[in-house]
Amino acid sequence: MTKLPRIFLVFLLAFGQAQAWSLFSSSDENERFPGMGGDFTLRSADGPVALKDFRGKLVLIYFGYTSCPDVCPTSLGALSSALRKLSNQEMARVQPIFISVDPERDDTAKLKEYTRYFHPKMIGATADLPYLRDLAKRYGAFFRKAPIEDSSIGYAMDHSSTIYVVNEEGKLVDMIQHGGSPKLILQHIRTALGRP
Amino acid sequence: MYKQLISSLLLGLCFISPVFAGSAADDVDVSKPWAREVPPGLTTSAGFLTLHNKGSKEHRLVAAESPAAGMVELHTHINDNGVMRMRPVDDIPIPSGGMAELKPGGYHLMLMMLKKPLKSGQTMPITLEFEDGSKKEIQAEILHFSMERNMQHMNKEH
Repeated sequence: MTKLPRIFLVFLLAFGQAQAWSLFSSSDENERFPGMGGDFTLRSADGPVALKDFRGKLVLIYFGYTSCPDVCPTSLGALSSALRKLSNQEMARVQPIFISVDPERDDTAKLKEYTRYFHPKMIGATADLPYLRDLAKRYGAFFRKAPIEDSSIGYAMDHSSTIYVVNEEGKLVDMIQHGGSPKLILQHIRTALGRP
Repeated sequence: MYKQLISSLLLGLCFISPVFAGSAADDVDVSKPWAREVPPGLTTSAGFLTLHNKGSKEHRLVAAESPAAGMVELHTHINDNGVMRMRPVDDIPIPSGGMAELKPGGYHLMLMMLKKPLKSGQTMPITLEFEDGSKKEIQAEILHFSMERNMQHMNKEH
């Protein structure tokens, strides 16, 4: 009588493991972030930038702001270093976009200069705050203006620091958390490129 | 007579020197100071370094300044479940016999109102001030982001 519950327990464990594993190696990438992501249209120095303009390419999105002294340059620097390791053919399939959540201080000209420093293909774009709030929410990104009293900067932008990976069909398929090394970011990019 | 003068002078010096010997600037060594190169047009960057306290009591970095920046502040990042919050801090403690690291994602010198863009290959003079008023001048190396990993890697080897 005691053997049966034990076998059942083992079965349950194995079943649970299989389920958990399938979450990570799902052949259907679209299921990983159900209901998240989606199209957007932003403004840039070279005109409107719409996500659907990049169907057929892997789009890498990062939310930040140019007055960010450390977190953004660290992440964009790591991303750029990763991009430089891609072959020309691979890079032709990738589009990095930097979205500024600080339209008050970041105009499109400033954004273009900023992103060009990191990578020639990186687009810098922004929009009005209400639009950005909705967009960030859809992607699971967070940002908040935080007034700082004893500092000359006036205010800081608290924000999540994540690279969002959107596949060739415009679906959000991966998120690379802050602090990822160029090597790790490269792995994520190559994995996303590898899937048909 | 001169011997007395000299020895009393030396004795006198012995009393004066404790004011400087054992000061924070004496006790604290700075290693690998560097600042990040930024895109042209930007006037804000971050400076990093490691402070080693070989003295017998805790010291604190309380301020910094540089002729190359209109304002330097001490800041840190609080990683609040993935949300990075940058905040100014009053000081950065350096435990006796220990060290304090200013590195990307953590404590850093916020270099503001840069008088001209920081370019890789240059150095930036920064004067650090400690809790007892003593100061120490350092030269921070300006690094391009592709060089950063080397710096952090080197720091880890200490």
